[in-house]
Amino acid sequence: MNTAVTIDYLDLVVAASLVLVAGLVSVALRLGLARRLALASVRTVVQLLLVGYVLKLVFGVGHWYAVLGMAAVMILAAARAAVRRPSHTFAGAFGHSFVTLLATGLAVTLTVTAVILRVEPWYHARYFIPLLGMILGNGLTGISLGLDTLLSGLVQQRHLVEADLALGATAWESARPQVQDAVRRGMIPIINSMMVVGLVSLPGMMTGQILAGADPLEAVKYQIVVMFMVAAATSLGTIGVVMLAFRRLFNPRHQLCLECVREQES
Amino acid sequence: MADQALLSVRDFAVQADGRELLTGLDLTLAPGEIVALRGPSGSGKTTLLRSLAWLQNPSGGTARMRDLTAEEIGWTDWRRQVCLVPQLPAVFPGTVSANLSRPFAFRATTAAFCAERARNLLDDLLLTDVDLDANCSRLSVGQQQRIGVVRALLLEPTVMLLDEPTSALDPIAAAAMEDVLRADVDRRSAAALVVSHDPTRSDRWCDRSVDLTPLLAGAAR
Repeated sequence: MNTAVTIDYLDLVVAASLVLVAGLVSVALRLGLARRLALASVRTVVQLLLVGYVLKLVFGVGHWYAVLGMAAVMILAAARAAVRRPSHTFAGAFGHSFVTLLATGLAVTLTVTAVILRVEPWYHARYFIPLLGMILGNGLTGISLGLDTLLSGLVQQRHLVEADLALGATAWESARPQVQDAVRRGMIPIINSMMVVGLVSLPGMMTGQILAGADPLEAVKYQIVVMFMVAAATSLGTIGVVMLAFRRLFNPRHQLCLECVREQES
Repeated sequence: MADQALLSVRDFAVQADGRELLTGLDLTLAPGEIVALRGPSGSGKTTLLRSLAWLQNPSGGTARMRDLTAEEIGWTDWRRQVCLVPQLPAVFPGTVSANLSRPFAFRATTAAFCAERARNLLDDLLLTDVDLDANCSRLSVGQQQRIGVVRALLLEPTVMLLDEPTSALDPIAAAAMEDVLRADVDRRSAAALVVSHDPTRSDRWCDRSVDLTPLLAGAAR
């Protein structure tokens, strides 16, 4: 059963006109958003078309090195985006973000392609790349939120952390509230979306599959796998990056080392 | 060795933000001794206490407790024994009791929290109307400052590093605080190093004072 309606370029222009309406409203209300909206629209088109061509190329090559090469670029981009959003950062944050996304992204994607979907070969680009993309997209949000909460928590509550240290607490004992808060904050978006999935919104991937003509029940099964996959990767990624940052911000003397932390514009 | 120094500091130097503040400090705290630290604002008194507690590294010199370094004792055990009470009270969410018993959950603390002892100390510090179940964040700064001191006293540290412990207190409450600290140090043969801006007050309850002015970086020797 394949009743997918194909989209030609004229259809894309019609879709763009919907954004144009929003832009006109912005101009009329002097919201000052017209330029940003236009830029965002152009970027959407350019980035997606580019990625479309790259995906076609990678699918065509079909070798593991092409797939893993693209995966590496995606992980690098996600790692960079994850550390640019928090209000504070520190030297080495990008490395932590990259290592965490690399480990969780590859481990979870491989589990899904090789064990659950039993795709042959395991690096089949049609499965590997979109699944990894969903993991990274959600994972970077978790990492961003986790890092932001941990760093701003330690900066703002430094006096509390050091008060505990001054009474003989270990680094872990003194920073546990901030670490717990950071992991919790990082996981809230994925837990929220798992709570309301299907009730409030149909996830993008499922919607895409249904629009493309897939059986809704098959789409749902895929979506359940994807939700669990994303939840696992986001949780592990958030915990991983928060623990790495915690180890970086305390030394073996159980001193809080905030000298390496600096503010950045989000 | 009953007369062994509880804290001995040799050629100690501290810095903040890469700037040298104090150099060449020699100091010994004997059992039962309370020493007042004096010096102009910004001279590094707080930084000195933080460095002695190893919350930050000194830029030079050595500090020993009963002839052992922090590395030999262990960093957390050092802080448990050489206990810093900051000037600004650290108030954690929860009740007075939760704030006071907090350090007893740390691995470095082997003793158990004694609510009766806490109550007695609060009373001695004129906090008779503060219930152990009261919300700590609702108390005044002066009350919170006293709770910070009680929290340290309950741990019975070997040396207390007190950063202006009476700065938010009225003269009557300040006198009560000084009496409690004096009695505690005498009873346990412990020691205390106290930052104080008021020589007339510190002369009343401290054994001696150390002026940091000649040790300030850039001061003529």
